[in-house]
Amino acid sequence: MSVKKYAVVLLLLITGLASQAQTPTKEAVVKVTGEVTTPLTIGSADLQQYKQTTVTRKDRDGKDHTYSGVIVSEILAKAGVTLGPELRGENLAKFLLVEASDGYQVLFALAELDKGFTDRTIILADKIDGQPLAPADGPFRIIVQDEKKPARCIKQVTAMKVMFAK
Amino acid sequence: MLGLLLVVAGLTAYTGTGSVVPMGDYVFNYPANFGNRINVPANNPTTQQGVYLGRLLFYEPKLSATNTISCGSCHQQSKAFTDGKALSVGVNNGLATRNSMSLANLLWARKFFWDGRAASLEEQAAFPLTNPHEMGQAIEVSVQKLSNTQLYPGLFKIVYGDSVITGERIVKAIAQFERTLISANSRYDQYLRNAYKPTDDELKGMALFNRGPDPEKGIRGANCTHCHGGPKTYLELFHNNGLDSISKDEGMAAFTGLVTDRGRFKVPTLRNIALTAPYMHDGRFKSLDEVVDHYSEHIKQSVSLSAFLQGESNETGGKSLKLLPKEKKQLIAFLNMLTDSTFITDKRFADPHQSTKN
Repeated sequence: MSVKKYAVVLLLLITGLASQAQTPTKEAVVKVTGEVTTPLTIGSADLQQYKQTTVTRKDRDGKDHTYSGVIVSEILAKAGVTLGPELRGENLAKFLLVEASDGYQVLFALAELDKGFTDRTIILADKIDGQPLAPADGPFRIIVQDEKKPARCIKQVTAMKVMFAK
Repeated sequence: MLGLLLVVAGLTAYTGTGSVVPMGDYVFNYPANFGNRINVPANNPTTQQGVYLGRLLFYEPKLSATNTISCGSCHQQSKAFTDGKALSVGVNNGLATRNSMSLANLLWARKFFWDGRAASLEEQAAFPLTNPHEMGQAIEVSVQKLSNTQLYPGLFKIVYGDSVITGERIVKAIAQFERTLISANSRYDQYLRNAYKPTDDELKGMALFNRGPDPEKGIRGANCTHCHGGPKTYLELFHNNGLDSISKDEGMAAFTGLVTDRGRFKVPTLRNIALTAPYMHDGRFKSLDEVVDHYSEHIKQSVSLSAFLQGESNETGGKSLKLLPKEKKQLIAFLNMLTDSTFITDKRFADPHQSTKN
């Protein structure tokens, strides 16, 4: 193999490595869609625009942690979801489907999220004990106050879709 | 129900080449514990004639540039519709990018490929047909080749109402056939319906499979059900399972752009897992022993490692499962319970060209 060929191979290798090493840098967001009047795309900065709330609950480590973020119903209200006085009649057959990066899905009936029905707070959190959530848990995680199992405290949330039960 | 089946079975059509094509709605038959969250697009309802055509197309080598490779080449029934290779060889002798996936119980799947990028089987099927490292033939050429046969124009007429062959109609029929590939008669299924008594090793393996480890409480487990749970041993999830510190293959990050999606791939079904070696998206593990060893001892830490694999261990403070040799053997005994010999010998799924020469 000639020197020139070596150089070409080397160049190809370097370009290959460079493209492999290139770290994807898009910002994670939560898309709010479905039975809404205004679809939303919420990034970390957007979440700071809402009123911040904290919820303390145990995680799998069995210890209490303080999570902070935004009450889910306040985000849904901004998207024009039928909450509050509108949460009656057929709107009670609506639910919120939350989806994560790994494809995991959990749902909440809208009434579970509405202050008129319950005092239990469900937030979209971005911090644990004042720090950003760990990469494998965040940047956004649902935290359900007082729920015994953490299974609906869905991590790495990417989408919230409001739907009618068929 | 029986009456309906008799009526449906009574409807057939003739292709003009001597074959009898069954007609009518296709009735999926599966256990109630599989659930009814099935995925059939509204614009491609499953019919018996569509499945008949799809099966012929699935095994049709004319759909490849060299007339030598069909879907069935890399998805062989005897291997639960895989091909035993780390990466399949395509028409240009190039290698496919990722390991050929088992085709079983796709009726319940909603995201396809190792990175979940296709939202339907129809969309999925179009890719290997044209990819130069797989079947490598433009759809227009496939359409032309099929149009020039005795067999296909008549069959397309029976299925779609006229004999026009299009790429969309080809992938629709293939998808219909693939939805019928239901595996529901492994010894595990038989156990779930009280028709099989597992061995001691199988039972202990099943317990490990189902339980998460909790060393503080002295509970030993492998926590497999976290991702492979339920009667189908399939949950539609995508994870970075700690194969590499920096995954060479970007996985889902290639299109989401998220660093936490690097090396994130589909959690495959464990149906017939003993038949589908080698394992992982790149076929790096040759045996189930190697797979279990990975989760037991070799989880690589990275920013993309899924949360459920962080610190999941039978040893306090352990970074991976740390199973005992005996427990690995038991776990693999259970995994072998997932082999469905009925599925891999079912004549309805076999190559029909053996009997229908065109």
